[in-house]
Amino acid sequence: MKRIRLNVNGIDYIIEVADNRRLLDVLREELGLTGTKEGCGIGECGACTVILNGEAVNSCLILAVQADGGTVLTVEGLETDGELSRLQKAFLAHGAVQCGFCTPGMLMSAKALLDKNPHPTEAEIREAIAGNLCRCTGYKQIVEAIDEAAKTSEDRA
Amino acid sequence: MIGERVIRIDGEVKVRGRAKFGDDLHFPEMLHACCRFADITCGKITRIGIDKAMKIPGVVRIALYADVPGKPLIGAIRQDQYPLVKDRVYYQGDVIAIVAATSLDAAREAAEAIEVEFEPENGIYDVEEAYKPDARLIHPEFESNVVVHYPLRKGDVEQGFRQSDRVMERTYRTGYHEHAYIEPETVAAEPEISTGGFKVYGSIQNPFTTRGVVAGYLGIPLNRVNVHGSVLGGSFGGKDDTVNAMACRVALLSQLTDRPVKLTYRREESFRESYKRHPYILRYKVGYNADGRLNAMKIDMLADAGAYSSQTFFVNWRSVVQATGPYVIPNVHTDIRGIYTNNVYTGAFRGFGSPQIVFAQETLMDEIAADCGLTPIEIREINGFRNGSRTASGQLLDGHEVSLIEVMNRAVEKCDFIQKRAQYQSMESERYRYGIGLAVSHRGCSLGAEGTDAAAAVVSMQADGSVYIITGLNENGQGLKTSFCMIAAQELGIALGDIVFLDPQTSTVTDGGPTVASRGTIMGGKAVELAAKEVRRRLFETVKEHFDAEHPDDLEWKDGMIRKEGFEPMAIKEVAHKAAFSGVNLSAYGWYRMSDAEWHHHTGQGRAYNTFVYGCQVAEVRVEKSTGKLEVLKITAVHDAGKIINRTGAEGQVYGGVAQGMGYGMLEDYNVQEGVLKSENLDEYLIPTAMDVPDIDAEFIENPDDFGPYGAKSLGEPTLELTAAAVNNAYFHAVGKPSDSIPINLEKALIGKPLYKPHRSSETGEQKKLRLGELTVERPTTIEEALRLDGRYLAGGTDLLVQLRNSAKSERLIDISRIEELTTMKGGRIGSGVTFTKLLQNNELMDRYPVLREAISRVGALQIRNRATIGGNIVNAAPCADSVPPLILYGAKLRIAGSDGMREINAADFVLGAYKTALNPGEILESIILPEPEADNVWSYYQLGRRNAMNITRMSCGITAKLNPDSTIATCRIVQGSLLARPGRLFDVEEAMIGQNPNQGLPDEAETILKALLDKEISGRWSSEYKIPAFIGMVNDLVRELAGKGEQK
Repeated sequence: MKRIRLNVNGIDYIIEVADNRRLLDVLREELGLTGTKEGCGIGECGACTVILNGEAVNSCLILAVQADGGTVLTVEGLETDGELSRLQKAFLAHGAVQCGFCTPGMLMSAKALLDKNPHPTEAEIREAIAGNLCRCTGYKQIVEAIDEAAKTSEDRA
Repeated sequence: MIGERVIRIDGEVKVRGRAKFGDDLHFPEMLHACCRFADITCGKITRIGIDKAMKIPGVVRIALYADVPGKPLIGAIRQDQYPLVKDRVYYQGDVIAIVAATSLDAAREAAEAIEVEFEPENGIYDVEEAYKPDARLIHPEFESNVVVHYPLRKGDVEQGFRQSDRVMERTYRTGYHEHAYIEPETVAAEPEISTGGFKVYGSIQNPFTTRGVVAGYLGIPLNRVNVHGSVLGGSFGGKDDTVNAMACRVALLSQLTDRPVKLTYRREESFRESYKRHPYILRYKVGYNADGRLNAMKIDMLADAGAYSSQTFFVNWRSVVQATGPYVIPNVHTDIRGIYTNNVYTGAFRGFGSPQIVFAQETLMDEIAADCGLTPIEIREINGFRNGSRTASGQLLDGHEVSLIEVMNRAVEKCDFIQKRAQYQSMESERYRYGIGLAVSHRGCSLGAEGTDAAAAVVSMQADGSVYIITGLNENGQGLKTSFCMIAAQELGIALGDIVFLDPQTSTVTDGGPTVASRGTIMGGKAVELAAKEVRRRLFETVKEHFDAEHPDDLEWKDGMIRKEGFEPMAIKEVAHKAAFSGVNLSAYGWYRMSDAEWHHHTGQGRAYNTFVYGCQVAEVRVEKSTGKLEVLKITAVHDAGKIINRTGAEGQVYGGVAQGMGYGMLEDYNVQEGVLKSENLDEYLIPTAMDVPDIDAEFIENPDDFGPYGAKSLGEPTLELTAAAVNNAYFHAVGKPSDSIPINLEKALIGKPLYKPHRSSETGEQKKLRLGELTVERPTTIEEALRLDGRYLAGGTDLLVQLRNSAKSERLIDISRIEELTTMKGGRIGSGVTFTKLLQNNELMDRYPVLREAISRVGALQIRNRATIGGNIVNAAPCADSVPPLILYGAKLRIAGSDGMREINAADFVLGAYKTALNPGEILESIILPEPEADNVWSYYQLGRRNAMNITRMSCGITAKLNPDSTIATCRIVQGSLLARPGRLFDVEEAMIGQNPNQGLPDEAETILKALLDKEISGRWSSEYKIPAFIGMVNDLVRELAGKGEQK
């Protein structure tokens, strides 16, 4: 067991974790943030994507102790006082959500992209979400949603 | 509202991460379950020992066959599957025992500890073997391995052949197709105090089916099982039989322990147990005249049903109805047989027996067209269905618009088919061929003669005008809730926001049949329409005098108001309020029963479906000549699905169906060898990424129809069934010969057949553990400190954690990611702990070593590159490691820290073989030193993978060269990866290039040397038949690319 510090969605936590707990397990089970999903457990599907210290990562491939001292943003942290972010709204408007299981990871990859590259090309969008598998949408409406969120001015993604 | 673009009503909770999927559920006192799967694919179980497993702390109960109180067998039509097997194993996904424990880790550990002894038998894994009359019976209790046989007879097919100018015979094969919903299956059960029964939750596509199966298994009445489906993370037909078997197991455990129990599958377990799309062998013999008119068709199909019958009865029936395609053929003789084998069982998957036959039939049509000198459009115009045509089953197509030619013409026009058909031939380059092709289909809507077709809905208006909808059909992600609410809103004239769609529980609404066969909208939507109309009628009764009206349609119901010219409008809210308090029942039941279809089993004649949909898809492709890599450039899809309800949702159905159909046609290869699954997770079973799916152009034609709400029909399945066929016809156009099987993967395209690593029987027993064992993580901050510790080094963890999850070994890990000097870069020095992302951001460095940039920019996806380190990639020494070949190419040295100090080794000497390096125990790779690159270089690089992202590199090659003023090669270096036993330079080939001109590719002598080298080094490997020609082709492309780059300079 180790005591680690994590800032998750703006809140500081001190958590006792076993060394073999993944960041994904801690988010889902310790903090109750079940928006982050597990789809493959080996970093292939991207459903567990969160933003750790500014970078999109697979939380199934990181031990919680490796993230000690880090800042994590999960899908639950995208909204502000109940108001959806531009990106979340764009996903809804464009039909980028079907079953919704890949959606949290997809949103986090999109958010990490727009934070670094506010005006991506379509190719850049597709590359940024290439590690997030979706089986429902064929990606088209997701790409359109990210593109629209990028084009909608100063609002935070 | 109908036909507009509407935001899905369950979307907001999903983008907020608040939707509760099965595995998100947690109950007080909940136990976690884990299955003990079979170690063999066929044979007897002689002993099951649970004593050792029961001693593992946290284990509460282990359930076996003997614990089942009710009927131990389940099955959609024929009960032939044991959720917990009795004494025999029928396939690798069979479950022998299920453990309940207080933690998931304990449950998994206990499942591993259950001792099972087997007497393995020789299974039958080949469908043609299993069909032979003397084949051993897979299920001895049934008299044959034939699960079902459907004949269809029309006219006299032999006479038809005799009267034909030409006869063509073809055999086509289609592979398995895994649903690969992103959410693996979960089922939870808990005792329900109020009924004395159980409540079942989870990723359940058909709650009523699950209810019936669980009640039977536990031996309790239907009213004691209440199934409450959770938000479903994709299904596509897949979360039915397997989930029912899981539900039986957890309900049993819940009964035995009197506690809630949850079973969530890892991806490997999902792939292992869950049923797939049936592989088919399809033999077609077709007689036609020189003008292209079809006279006779004889079709013989074998479907691999695997170990259990599941939905084979229905899947194969749809195939027999539609196998001739949407064409008028006077003489037809069709047989399909579903056959038991010891492979994974097969069942429902979006398309349901149609993608196989559309692939075969539509490929055949293009072959006939080519033979007759007709275009793909002409052959379909000559033979295609029109109003009043008769199908192979003798059904008269009437009562709806037969829009086959209309959808085809629209698609052809939309994508400029005719012009591109000519243009693509002339676009052929040294490297690529281009093609465009189309496919059309007809599809019977809903269940047809499969069975009685009825659906129920409740629409209940409250005293304030707000409304509940309850139906027995399920939201699978397709947008059913939204469509249904739109229909109610339209009928009642209220806003979408005034309606709540209650999550269905089997205890609160009548069984409306399963959410299958694209019947949600046409059947359930109609039931909602009928219920809402009834509520409106009752409201109308209370206001008709006020408006002096005779019928609800005499009034306008819109925007929450009831209006008629000349009368004071009334708010629906107020009308509802008054009605509710004057004793009017504003809850109405909608029950829609489709008129019965009919089918004569012995002749295969009859009115199979009440109505049909029509679609056409066009694919545009590019084929790389050297490697066979097929890429889809664009798909155009035109569908007549009747009236569109929610345009945004409908388009989403098309895009998603096309992407799945594309994967089916060219990528997805569920590899089972001798019954043993080889593609266990999404790293080996490859579904399309965002970089693989091209632009999709969708359009709808909305002809009227009598059955569904407003004339809406079916859309989910037709979108998938056409794509593989369209891709193959485009491939045919590109290379001059169609593929006779799918998927058209690299090997199929280049050498005409797929290649698989041969199965060794010794591999059967190896089971990945799928959990992390006990770990102790040390976190040193200096190299010296790390060297003093004992354990395995952990850097990014992207490889190591996967390995640890497979082994579940207890390990001591030394996290070296906090050692600052490992994470820095200066000049040509790269700390081993630098991530690929950080390295790629170092433009100064990357500009000097462009082959390294190219190679590492293709490692995994961004999430992996953000964590994975260059040092980890080198030290792990996977054959597919992308960073190693470029480091060898540039002559990099590796600095290695050990307790005796630092040593240096050439990158070329470091990797000794697959997962073997020159690193001694305890040593740390400290940094990579790149020497100054040679000046004035041209370079080229190619990483061959099956997809365009997230690849496990099949082969790679990088070249740097210096060109003379006369464009000949002065010096050059060539490096290969994932090809020979270890990555390295090809010195002899390099030497033979000197002084040669690269513009024609590899000089002859160099190619001879390369061929000899490959023959010597890898010709014994299973993959060499592909890899040798493909690599030579790749190098030729890369050498030509050098010439091109030289000219630019």
